[in-house]
Amino acid sequence: MQLLRRYPTQATRQAPWRLNVRTTSNTMLGLVALLVVSALYLAVNARLARAGREVLRLETERAELVRQMGEYTGRLADLTTPKRMLERASSIGFRPAHPKDIEYVVLDGYVPPSEFVAPRPIGSPPSPRGTLSPAYTETLGEWLQRLLGGLRGER
Amino acid sequence: MTVSTAERPGAARVVVLMAMMGLLGAGMVVQLVRVQFGPYAPVFDARDRAGLGLEERLIPERGLIYDRDGVLLATNGTMYFLEVELRQLTDESRKQIASVLSKVLVLPIEDLYAQLTFDWPSKGQYRIRLTRLDPDAGRLPIVVDPTVAGVLGGFLADPQAPDLSGLQLVPTPRRHYPNGTLAGHLLGFVNQEGKGYFGVEGYYDEWLSGKAITVRRSFIPPDAQRDADPPAGVNLVLTIDADIQQTAEIALEEAVHDSKAEGGQVLVMDPQTGEILAMAAWPALDPNNYEPWLKKAEEDESAITPAVAAQYEPGSTFKVLTMAAALDAGVVQPNDIFIDTGSIEVGGHTIRNWDYSAWGAQTMIGCLRYSLNVCLAYVASDKLKAAPFYNYLTEFGVGQLTGIDLAGEVAGQLRTPRHPEWTESDLGTNSFGQGVSVTPIQLLTAVAAVANGGVMVQPHVVREVVSAEGAFYPRTTVLGQPISAAAAQTLTSMLVESLQGETRRATVTGYVLAGKTGTAQIPTDKGYDPKWTIASFIGWGPVNDPRFVVLVRLDKPETSPWGSVVAAPVFQEIVERLVVLLQIPPADVQALAAGG
Repeated sequence: MQLLRRYPTQATRQAPWRLNVRTTSNTMLGLVALLVVSALYLAVNARLARAGREVLRLETERAELVRQMGEYTGRLADLTTPKRMLERASSIGFRPAHPKDIEYVVLDGYVPPSEFVAPRPIGSPPSPRGTLSPAYTETLGEWLQRLLGGLRGER
Repeated sequence: MTVSTAERPGAARVVVLMAMMGLLGAGMVVQLVRVQFGPYAPVFDARDRAGLGLEERLIPERGLIYDRDGVLLATNGTMYFLEVELRQLTDESRKQIASVLSKVLVLPIEDLYAQLTFDWPSKGQYRIRLTRLDPDAGRLPIVVDPTVAGVLGGFLADPQAPDLSGLQLVPTPRRHYPNGTLAGHLLGFVNQEGKGYFGVEGYYDEWLSGKAITVRRSFIPPDAQRDADPPAGVNLVLTIDADIQQTAEIALEEAVHDSKAEGGQVLVMDPQTGEILAMAAWPALDPNNYEPWLKKAEEDESAITPAVAAQYEPGSTFKVLTMAAALDAGVVQPNDIFIDTGSIEVGGHTIRNWDYSAWGAQTMIGCLRYSLNVCLAYVASDKLKAAPFYNYLTEFGVGQLTGIDLAGEVAGQLRTPRHPEWTESDLGTNSFGQGVSVTPIQLLTAVAAVANGGVMVQPHVVREVVSAEGAFYPRTTVLGQPISAAAAQTLTSMLVESLQGETRRATVTGYVLAGKTGTAQIPTDKGYDPKWTIASFIGWGPVNDPRFVVLVRLDKPETSPWGSVVAAPVFQEIVERLVVLLQIPPADVQALAAGG
C-alpha cells in the first residue's frame, strides 16, 4: 500500500517550474476574470452615471422649458386680451356692431364651429420605478440571471 | 548585490516629493476645514444633504382657467423672491446689494440696508427674505419678474459686477391673470403660498392645485432616475364669455361713473342651462394685485365676489316672484282689477306706494307697470295668504344657497311664519321686496325660472373640467319647478306689456324682452336710509326662446335713485351687444327663418 502510494507521487511529480507556471496561470486566469468582470462593472456603472447625469440635465431642461412655456403662454395671452384687441380694432377704424348692422342669412346645413376644449394639463400619473430603461436600473445579479435565463431558453 | 550610492535616488528629490505630498495633504486639510466651517459651509452642507437624497416635495403646475372660447383667464408664470444667506454677506456686499436693489426696484436704500445689517442671528435666523413696505398691506416680500431676475442673475454671475455675494434669487410659481380686472371678482385669486381664495380659485382650489407628492431625489448621478410627475391640477373652461364679460364691465363702469354710484354688479345668465355668461362688479378687482382686497375683505366679507356674497333688499324686482306665486296659485288673473287707494294696512303696518299716490283701478299688469306696492301687498296678504306665499318663495330658493360653484356664497335672509320674529306685517313688506334679503345670484336664479317656463336650474360657472385622464362636462342641474309653465308664460306676457309702459329705456328694437325695475331702500340701524337706494333692473329675452337673463344693480346712485332711470339703460346697452355676440336674430327674422 505504501509503495502504491509513493509510486504515483514519484512518477507524476512535476517539475517545480511547471508547478510555478500552473499556479501563476491559475492566478492570472482568476485575475483576468476579475478584471473582466470589474471592467464590465465599471463600464456599466460609467454608462449608468452618464445616463444619470443626462437624466438630471434633462429634468432641469424640462423644468426650464415648462417655465418658459408658461411665461410665453402668459405673454401671448397678455397680447390678445379682449381689451387690447378692442383697442387695436378701434385704432384701425372698427367699432362694435349694433344689431341694426347685422344681416342674418339662413344657411341650410350650416354647422356651427365646435366648442373649445382645453388642453390636458402637463403631467403624468406616478409610476413606481420611474420611466428609466431596465438597462439602467437592474443590478449585475439581475443581469446575470436574465442572461442565464436567456441561455436556458426561459422567457 | 549592493547598490552604489550614485545609483540611489537623490535625497533632494525625495524631500521635494515628500514636500509636494505634504502640501497636497495640507491643502486637503485646509479645504476640509473650509468646507466644514467656512462662509460657504451652509451651501456645501445643503449640497451634501441633497447628495444624500433628501426628500423633495414636488408641487404640480396649477391648472389653467379659460373662458368658453379659449381666452386664457388665469395662467402660471415664475416670480423670484430675494433671499439673503447672512453668513455669506460681507460689509461690501451689504452696501452693494442695498444699492443695486434700490436702483433696480426703486426701493428706499435705507430700508434695504437696515434689513441687511439687522442682527438676525440673535433671533436664530441665518437666511432672510427681503421685504418692502406697502402702504396698504404692510410688509410684503419683494418679488421680481423674470426680466429683473435675469439682470440680477447677470450681476451675480459676473465677477466684474458689484459684489452681491449672499443674495439669492429663489424661483416660485406665480399666478398670472392676463386680463387684469376682467372677471376679477369671479376668478378670485391665489396667494404667494399657492392657495386659492374667493371665486373660482377658492371653490376649485383643490382641483386646480393638483396633488403635491414627495419624492426621494438623489443628485448622485447613478442613483438619478426620472421622477414621476405629481398629479397635475385640472384645467377649467368657464361658462363666461370674455366678450360679454367685457361688454358688461364697460357698461357697468360707465353707469357707475355717470350715476355717481358707489358700486354695482351686472350678471348675465342663460336661463335654460344656468350658465353664467358674465359676472361684473365695480369697484373692479385685479387678482394680480390682490393684497389691498384682503384688507377690504377683512372689513366687509362681501367686498369680493359680491354677486354671491352681497345680500340686499331687492325692492320692486321681487314683485316678479310675488306675482308668479299668485298666478300659479290661480288667485289672480292678468286683467283682474284692483282699486288702489294709495295705502293698505297689513298686520298693523301701513304700506304706501313709492310716490305716496293712489292709482285707482288697475289691472295686475298695471300693478307691475307702475310698480304699486299697495297692489302687491294686497295680492300677497288678501289673495295668496302667508303660508302659500312663503312656500312659493322657498320653492324659488329665497333664503337658501343656490349652490353656484363660487366660494363665499351667502344664503340671504327670509323670515317665514315659523320664525319667532315674523309678524304679519312682514307678509305685506316682503311682497314688494322689503324685509327680505337676497343675493344678486339668488334673485337672478329665481327670475330665470320664470323665463325658463317655470323650471329653475342651478347657476354654474364651469362648463368643462379637463384633467390628465380626460375631460368631463358638468350637467345642468334642475333645482325644481316653483311655478307651472302656463303661469310662467302668463307672467312673461304681463312683464313684456308692463315693460313697454314702465320704461322705454330697457327695450331693444326688434326683440321682445320682459323685465322689471327695482328701487330698494337701504335698511340701517335706525330704519331705512332716507337718501340712498339700490337701483336695479332684471330682464330677459327673447321671450319665446330665452337666451339670457340680465340683472343690473347700482348701489347708492347720486344722479337719480330710480332703477328705471339709472339701471334700465344699462340693461338696454348690454342687450344690444348681447344679441350680436350671441347671434340672436330679431323676432321678425326668426319668424321668417321658421317659415312664419
